[in-house]
Order: sequence, then structure tokens, then C-alpha cells
Amino acid sequence: MLRTALGKALKGAQLSPKHARVMSQQPKKPEQIEVFIDDIPVKVDPGTTVLQAAAMVGVEIPRFCYHERLAVAGNCRMCLVEVEKSPKPVAACAMPVMKGWRVKTDSEMTKKAREGIMEFLLINHPLDCPICDQGGECDLQDQSMAFGSDKSRFTDIEHSGKRAVEDKDIGPLIKTIMTRCIHCTRCIRFASEVAGVDDLGTTGRGNDMQVGTYVEKMFLSEMSGNIIDLCPVGALTSKPYSFTARPWEIRKIDSIDVLDAVGSNIVVSSRTGEVMRIMPRVNEEINEEWIADKSRFSYDGLKRQRLVTPMLRDNTGELRPVDWEAALLTVAKQIKNAGANVGAIAGGLADAEVLVAVKDLLNRLGSEALCTEHTFPMDGSGTDLRSSYLLNNGIAHAEEADFVLLVGTNPRFEAPLLNSRLRKGYVHNELEVALIGPKVDLRYQYKHLGDGTDVLQQLIGGGHEVSKKLKSAKKPLIIVGSEVLERPDGAAILAVIQKLSASTKAQEGWKVLNVLHKVASQVAALDIGYNPGVDKIRENNPKVLLLLGADEGAIEKADLCDNTFVVYLGHHGDHGATIADAILPGAAYTEKQATYVNTEGRAQQTLVAVTPPGRAREDWKVIRALSEIVGAKLPYDNLNEIRDRLDEVAPHLTKYGEAENANFFKQAQDLAKNVKTQLDCTPLDVKLKDLSDYFMTDSISRASPTMAKCVQAVLKQKQSKF
Amino acid sequence: MAQQTVRQTIKQVKPILSLDKEEARKRVVSLYKAWFRQLPYIVKQYDMPKSVEQLRDRLREEFNKHQDIKDVRIVDMLVIKGQMELMETVNMWKQKGHMMAYFKDTWEPKPKDFLSKFLSGKD
Repeated sequence: MLRTALGKALKGAQLSPKHARVMSQQPKKPEQIEVFIDDIPVKVDPGTTVLQAAAMVGVEIPRFCYHERLAVAGNCRMCLVEVEKSPKPVAACAMPVMKGWRVKTDSEMTKKAREGIMEFLLINHPLDCPICDQGGECDLQDQSMAFGSDKSRFTDIEHSGKRAVEDKDIGPLIKTIMTRCIHCTRCIRFASEVAGVDDLGTTGRGNDMQVGTYVEKMFLSEMSGNIIDLCPVGALTSKPYSFTARPWEIRKIDSIDVLDAVGSNIVVSSRTGEVMRIMPRVNEEINEEWIADKSRFSYDGLKRQRLVTPMLRDNTGELRPVDWEAALLTVAKQIKNAGANVGAIAGGLADAEVLVAVKDLLNRLGSEALCTEHTFPMDGSGTDLRSSYLLNNGIAHAEEADFVLLVGTNPRFEAPLLNSRLRKGYVHNELEVALIGPKVDLRYQYKHLGDGTDVLQQLIGGGHEVSKKLKSAKKPLIIVGSEVLERPDGAAILAVIQKLSASTKAQEGWKVLNVLHKVASQVAALDIGYNPGVDKIRENNPKVLLLLGADEGAIEKADLCDNTFVVYLGHHGDHGATIADAILPGAAYTEKQATYVNTEGRAQQTLVAVTPPGRAREDWKVIRALSEIVGAKLPYDNLNEIRDRLDEVAPHLTKYGEAENANFFKQAQDLAKNVKTQLDCTPLDVKLKDLSDYFMTDSISRASPTMAKCVQAVLKQKQSKF
Repeated sequence: MAQQTVRQTIKQVKPILSLDKEEARKRVVSLYKAWFRQLPYIVKQYDMPKSVEQLRDRLREEFNKHQDIKDVRIVDMLVIKGQMELMETVNMWKQKGHMMAYFKDTWEPKPKDFLSKFLSGKD
């Protein structure tokens, strides 16, 4: 935590250049200064570094240690450039420009400096590019081609060999080949600044310098995979991906992650019809350029436990594979017999297309029993006003907040990227955080207000020590976990929080009330008009129950009649499939073009990276085919037509990339006054408390061996004395 | 009035070969006979892995394909085409593959509606 404290003390000094730019806009703008990059004049703000000024005119200066989202280290020296009248070349990443400087990025001196640096780096870098996983996407490879010398002076006369460093074991996700390390310290800076796990550091000096964890321990972070992307060489590579593919033989498809409600932008790399790896894609509004480990590494779960063929339960109680015709006819017969007595439960991974198709089908049959697996209070305004179930203020704006109250949530594991925003605010922006709920480790300091609901009452009354801060804050945020709203007294909690949000004096346009969901499908399902919670199914006791990937066990076989026919439409053989009488295999998120709405109400779409395995089909097509056999044909045959239908139901569902705002906070609060439920005295709780709880939360990650290894490794690390 | 015009148009149409239905029928029958007599030689000359009986069935099938055609001009046209085909066959202007093309496997048409596309797994 030393680094953090230091960071706070040095506030105002340059920490992250990206952040500095944001802050420098607030006070009155100082005069811009003119500099010349390769004789091209450019006007920049004072404090801009040479490297940034060069980037403004489109001159890219080579670098290893500099990263725009991390603090400046200036230790690789690759960015040396010549400045006129300066006797020595200067490090462009760390040197702020002065008035009238003439920077020469292509001069003889600059070239010589780069050649020299490359030569020094390569003295101790092994020549194992042919067996290195970074080969083909390695900064060192590229830059030695572009800026290195064309001949080598390195002759090992003594045959002493190159410098060799022992590999470290930092867990089941990251493979370390420390001999390849060029000491750029990007991983160290990421760990201490973004992840907040200050485990990485350097030991030794000069030729003996080593990057490592001092003692052998696992890198216990939910964002650890990002140091693989950050590493400019092959020192840190992905363990599950090692030796499986080369970057030039991979097909890259832009997509969306659905394993949490954040909707991180990802790139799915596939080869030979398999997902080989998942990497982040830059989206400043959501995930910047990071993704969480579950999103990155659980892709091997897409190959295991898959439902590849339709199945029917025979009279001995065994599920037997059948063809689509038989499965659809059987299901259709059951639905016809049931008449309007049909229900559906949407799980956490259902996309908007299938949600709309199922709703259309059931409505045509005369049923309204459409539920989501995760509950949300329906008293007061319920889900009628969108603002009561969205993360209204957006993910990106969380870092600007000056006071955050977390209620019954652990953002570190429910939405790691939101937590990284909060941490960014904490480090750079003097953000204060208070939490009501179990005491969890968020990787930054916060005020723990206890886990009782009485704290909420005190806050409303204004008698609590934090009330004043909440009221005086200009940009306060109250983030409620969807999990505590699932409690019997969820409506009362939401009502209290609505009242509390209304009592703050936030600046114009700042939205205080924020609900953080845990699953990707929930917002879309509520937008489309599903009933949150499975109570309706319990009451109605439908003859046919359709599970859309509902695997969390919200409903058990015991909750249903004996003769209820359960149909499971999904991609993994998990809890839902075990209680099903008929299984219709669907496609996972990498296998379909589908719409998801994230917790801030932003519609995004996944694209097809690989084809569904076996006889599995895209989910909405299964429903469309079934509808025809049942005799209630749905009027869409292809993706465009169902997207038109989505547009009809809720226009924001097809505005991809845009977060649709929600309002009417006041009206929601007025309606909340009618809420009859009283606050319960049971303490607020969250399911995901520890890192070992984080890795396996849905049917995909539960099927993933890598995630299982992670859980094991975390539990083992707990036994260790470090 | 209208009927008269139609009748006039029919009268004005130029015949190809036959003047009436009976004549056309005779031409078809003689073409059929000519093909029928040639079949044993075709099997031999083209070294077809088929029996004469199979070829006869196929021949009949080919003629039956057009059994509903009533227009004399079209019948004549088909007879002319049949004669050309026969000449090409007799003179060995064709090759074995061309002859075997008459016995191509039947293939199923591509599914067009949503349900059959879904069941066959083709989009």
C-alpha cells in the first residue's frame, strides 16, 4: 500500500498521463506552448510529454516501459529522442516539453540511441522466438526489426551463455519465462496501480535485477490476465493458451463478454473451429483495455459439458439423444396439451433475441408466466421505470465520483471492471468509499459501516457519521448489489435507497442511484417485460416449463407438479439440464450473433466466432421452429427480422454501443412510498466474498478446468504462510 | 368475336413439321422406335454399366416426361431435338459420361422454408 499512499501524497503531480489530462481541464486552461516535432509545429498544454506531443502529430516513438494507462517509469530508454541544443538524447515518455523545443525523432543521434538500447536489450534476451508464445505479436521482435542494428556485436567468446533467470510460479493462469524479461516494470505498475495487489516488485540491481513476487506466491488478483497483454515480450504469457496457436493463423472476431453484467468488449480468437483465447478490446466507456480473469480464461468451459444433441427422457428416466424432429414434435405435443398453462424462466446467459422469441411464443399461447431467474422487487414502481434497475450513472463516470456508498455488493468480484474504476478514483481522485454489507477485501480502503439494515435507517435519519459526507458530496454514488434486492425485504431496501439518493445534493445530470446486476441477461429481460423472480411459476404450476439456460437452481423439481414437463434450452449440461425432460441444445455466446444489455443499459452484440457444436442451434431459431410446430408461428425467419421485432419491443435494444439513459427518479421514489414491506433485521450478505468464490459462478465457468484450477490454487495459497 | 380472333391466330401459326396431331404422334412413335432399336448397340458401344432393360425404362421415362404436351409445334420441336440427340449418340459424338448423365442420382432440392432449413441444419 506504500505506493498508493505515495500516490495520494503526490496528487497533482503527474501519475497517469491519461488521468492528468482529464484533471488539467478543470481549472482555467493555461496557455498552450508550441513545439516542433520533426519540424511539424504543434500546440500542446504545458506538462505534455514529448511522446504525447509526438503522438498528436502522428509520430509514434518506440517504447517498452511506457503505457498510457500506467504511471510513467522511464526505465527502458527506448523512447530516447534528440532535442535540438540538448547535449544528450531525452526520454520522450517522461520529459515534459518546453517552449520552442525542436524534437527530432528520426535524426542520426536518435537512431543511434535506439540501436544501442536494442543491442543492450538483446544481449540478455534469449533467441527463443520460434518457441515463444509471444512470437508474432512481440514488441521486442517488431522493434528490433524496425529500429535495431542490422548486425550483432554480441559474440560470446567465453561461452558463458546469456543471463538466465529462474521462472516464477504465480498461479495457474500466467506462465512466466523470466529470462525473457526486459524489466519494463509494466506488470509491477499494473499490479500496484490498477489491480491493487502490490505483490510484484524487483529485486537486485543491474544485471542481477529480477521481477518477481519476492517469495513464491500466487498473484491473487481477479484482473491478473491483463499483465499478459501488458508484457511487451514473452516473459508473461497465458498458461492455458501456451503452445496452442500462432497469432497469424488465428481468426479474430469482436464480441462481448457475458460472464458478468459489465459487458466487457472482447476479441475472440479462434482456429480450427475452437476458441483459442479471449483478449480485451478497447472501449473507454466500459472496460478501458482490461478484462477480468473469468472473462479471459473460462473459454475452455465452452468445449466441455456441452449439450450437442436434442435429448428426451425415456420411461426409464434416462436422457436419450434424439434428432431435432422428434424432440420438437414431443415438446410441441406437450405444449399443445398444456394450452395456456406454459411458463418460462430466463437464466443469466440468455440473449435478447431468445427472450423476445419466447415472450412472443408464450403470449401467443395465452400465457404471461415469463420469469427471470434473478429476483427484483416489484413493489412500488417495480421494473416499470428503468431507472430503478440500472447502473444509471454509467461505468466510466464511477471514477469521477467523490463519495461512493456500496450497499450489499462486492464490486471486486461482481463487476471487477467497475471496481477498477472505483480504485482509480480512490488512487487519483480522493474518492471516499463506504460499504454496508459483509467486510470484504476491495483492494482499496473503505469505511465499513456494518452489515445491518439499521445503518440504512440511520443514514436516512441523518444521524450517521457518514450522512453528512453523503449529503455534501457533489458527485455521490450509491451502488446497490442486485443480490440484496433479491431478499424478501428487497423492496424496502430499494425504497430506502431511493429516498437516500433523493436526499443528496448531486450536481446536475449526476445520477446517484445505481443498481449493479450480476448476470448479463437481467437488464434485457426486464426491458422486454419479464417478471423478475420465479414466484409466478411456483403459483401457476405450469404443465410445461421452459428453462432458458436457467442453471442457478432457482426452481427445483420439488417445486413443480409431478407431471410438469420441463424443457431446457441452453448450451451446458448443468443444473437445469439435469431436471429437464427434454433438452434442446442452444449456442453459447461465442457461437451466435446476439444482443446483450449490460448493467448500465447499453445494448451490445456478440458476433459468431465459431459454429455451435454438434446439432446445437441458435437459441431463437429453436423457439421459432418450435412455434411453427405448435401452430403459433412467429413472424420472423432471419436475424434481421427478429432484430426488427426487438426494435419494435424496445428500440434501445438495437442501438448497439449506446447506453440508453433512464430517468423518472422522482416518480419512482413517490411510488416507493407505497411499499408496505418493512426492513428485515437479517444482515446484508453477498455470495462472492473471496477470490475463490469468484471463478465459478455460471454454467460456462463451472465447466472450465482452468477456473477449477484457479479455485484450487487460491485455496492452496490461503494455506501458505505468505 | 373474341373467339374468332383466337381461331384466326391459330390458323395463322406456321407449322414446324406436322399439320395435325395424328402426324405429330406418328413422328414421336417413329422416334421412339428408332431409339428403342438403337439401345442394345448403345450399351455395347458406350460400355455402359447398365442393361438394355434399364435403358428401355429410362427411354420410356424420358418420353413420358412430355406426355402432357398437347401443342403440335412443341411436340415437333421435341422430336427434332430427340433426333439430334439420337444422331449424336449413333455417331459416337458423345462419350460415356454424357450417356451416364441420363442416370444421374436424384438430389434433394435445397431447403427453402425456415423449418426445413432448421431441421437440416443449413442456413
